[in-house]
Amino acid sequence: MDGCAEDSADSEGDYSEDDFDSYYHPGGDYIDTEDGQTSADSADPELFPVECLTIEQVENLLNEAVNAVCHSLNTSPSLAKLFLLIHSWDVQKVISGYKADVSSFLATSRVITAGCNCALAQPSLLHNHLAPAAADTVNEDSFVCPVCTCAAPGKSALSLKCQHVFCVDCWTAYVQVKISEGLSTDITCMAQNCDLLVHEEVALQLPISNYHKLQYQHFSFHNYVMSHPQLRYCVGPNCSLVFKAPEALAKRVVCRQCTSVFCFKCGNSYHAPTDCGTIKNWLTKCADDSETANYFSAHTKDCPNCNICIEKNGGCNHMQCYKCKHDFCWMCLGDWKGHGTEYYECSRYKENSETANESAKARAALRKYLHYYERWQNHAKSLKLEEKTLEKIKERINQKVMNGSGTWIDWQYLLDAAALLAKCRYTLQYTYPYAYYMNQESKNLFEYQQAQLEAEIENLSWKIERAETTDRGDLENQMYIAEKRRKTLLKDFFQT
Amino acid sequence: MAATRRLQKELNDMRVNGLKCFRDIQVDESNILSWTGLIVPENPPFNKGAFRIEINFPAEYPFKPPKINFKTKIYHPNIDEKGQVCLPIISAENWKPATKTDQVIQALVALVNDPEPEHPLRAELAEEYLKDKKKFFKTAEEHTKKHSEKRPSD
Repeated sequence: MDGCAEDSADSEGDYSEDDFDSYYHPGGDYIDTEDGQTSADSADPELFPVECLTIEQVENLLNEAVNAVCHSLNTSPSLAKLFLLIHSWDVQKVISGYKADVSSFLATSRVITAGCNCALAQPSLLHNHLAPAAADTVNEDSFVCPVCTCAAPGKSALSLKCQHVFCVDCWTAYVQVKISEGLSTDITCMAQNCDLLVHEEVALQLPISNYHKLQYQHFSFHNYVMSHPQLRYCVGPNCSLVFKAPEALAKRVVCRQCTSVFCFKCGNSYHAPTDCGTIKNWLTKCADDSETANYFSAHTKDCPNCNICIEKNGGCNHMQCYKCKHDFCWMCLGDWKGHGTEYYECSRYKENSETANESAKARAALRKYLHYYERWQNHAKSLKLEEKTLEKIKERINQKVMNGSGTWIDWQYLLDAAALLAKCRYTLQYTYPYAYYMNQESKNLFEYQQAQLEAEIENLSWKIERAETTDRGDLENQMYIAEKRRKTLLKDFFQT
Repeated sequence: MAATRRLQKELNDMRVNGLKCFRDIQVDESNILSWTGLIVPENPPFNKGAFRIEINFPAEYPFKPPKINFKTKIYHPNIDEKGQVCLPIISAENWKPATKTDQVIQALVALVNDPEPEHPLRAELAEEYLKDKKKFFKTAEEHTKKHSEKRPSD
């Protein structure tokens, strides 16, 4: 029954598109397998040296940068953090920028108001931010805080370098409200049209509650990590690990704690060979258009020969109708004969040149989108379905071992094959958004390569589902070819 | 409470100085956090009437911004059927405690006088405003005459 057509009976829930990647990394053994392959194969373009850091390690890393800036510029750690935050933690850039032009550097860091050269005239002010509110300009007795309209004694009033003076009570209440809203390093002066930042030292010296202090530290740490180009939080829900890479590249990260797989650069699901911008457009488009798309690509199809309603119950696109035994392709509904032996081309979208009027164009655009969407969606579903296949494989292996035909280790290659199949399907899924946005010239070669991988993995899928009758050498050969084809598809992506 | 003192002062200042475009400020004695008043626009097509608004101040005022609602129906791209208005100066991200209510009112009146179709609340009105201004003015004027309140005589 595997891979064959069956009456549609399953609920739609089985096809939820979000959790297909849970299959992509079913557990530790999968990752081991992959590592084994990479060492055997010369250079894996997908290999990416990421370090997994604890909160403490991240703190040390950040503190090193802060200390370097403090030492070199003789500033407070609070200001150093602010400079680094704004300049993406580039220590050299901060130091050279500061030394080149202090006032403009402080202005762009939102420490002083642009055009004010007070920092140059009074460099000491830099280290003394909680300066008692400009004692010379405000008469202590007559100072009225513009926010609460209360008269405040001069010593309990403060201003940033902009000289917008407010009483300490108002500053405290304001900072607490902002922290409750989730702000920290991005809190600004209370005056209208003033965007000077209330940096860490100022905020934490105010008499805010301990709870708010902790919250502030938590949020500011988050901002520091987010602004650091070499660091990225794990995207998994409730996972607090931080990853460090030498460069912010669109490469694959696998979290060792929650097993999320994501792109280091953009944080979306890993998406080679599509780039970060394109995958974002594609996902937005799918979210917008998915209703229409779902309407068109229903979960079932009719057998092209006898028209019985058919649901796909395995990952393989080679379908065999359970009623009339007709072999056909799930994607194009054409006879499977052509797919096995001749040129596999149902992954190729044929651009229709006869699209004269507007509505025809719109229809053509929708058709084009649906072509790619259906294939994208189909691989996602296949991935999900092959999870079931994997279960079946495990069951079958168990039975075989029980019956004395080989040991568990003898059948291990079947699991490797299933893992490789998942990997190839995943890559193929992400070739469709790429092809959708591609221009026509480069598309032909890409779609040719894509079709080759499609053909190979359908063979692989078919062979895995019928593993008892397939020769091991044959299957391993098929695995080797599929992986070669997959790398060919990814080659361009990793060269750019 | 900080809000009461500040609002009392703002209310007094506004009553003394009197904005021409914002009249008839009414505040419930028992609840100074809720004000109503009349917006009196100068530009056509809204200068044929006056529009009642409600300003609600949160208890955390002035650390959190007030909310403004139109009680009078108005045919305006930036004000929706429920009377909600999108005014950047009182959005949570932009709000500054030192901003005074009369500045907020002035920003609101400026928006009423000169609609901003680039970020509308009612897209269909924004489109009409951009593509067929004559029609927009005609409808808005009729709408104003039908629904708005009388303008103060002085």
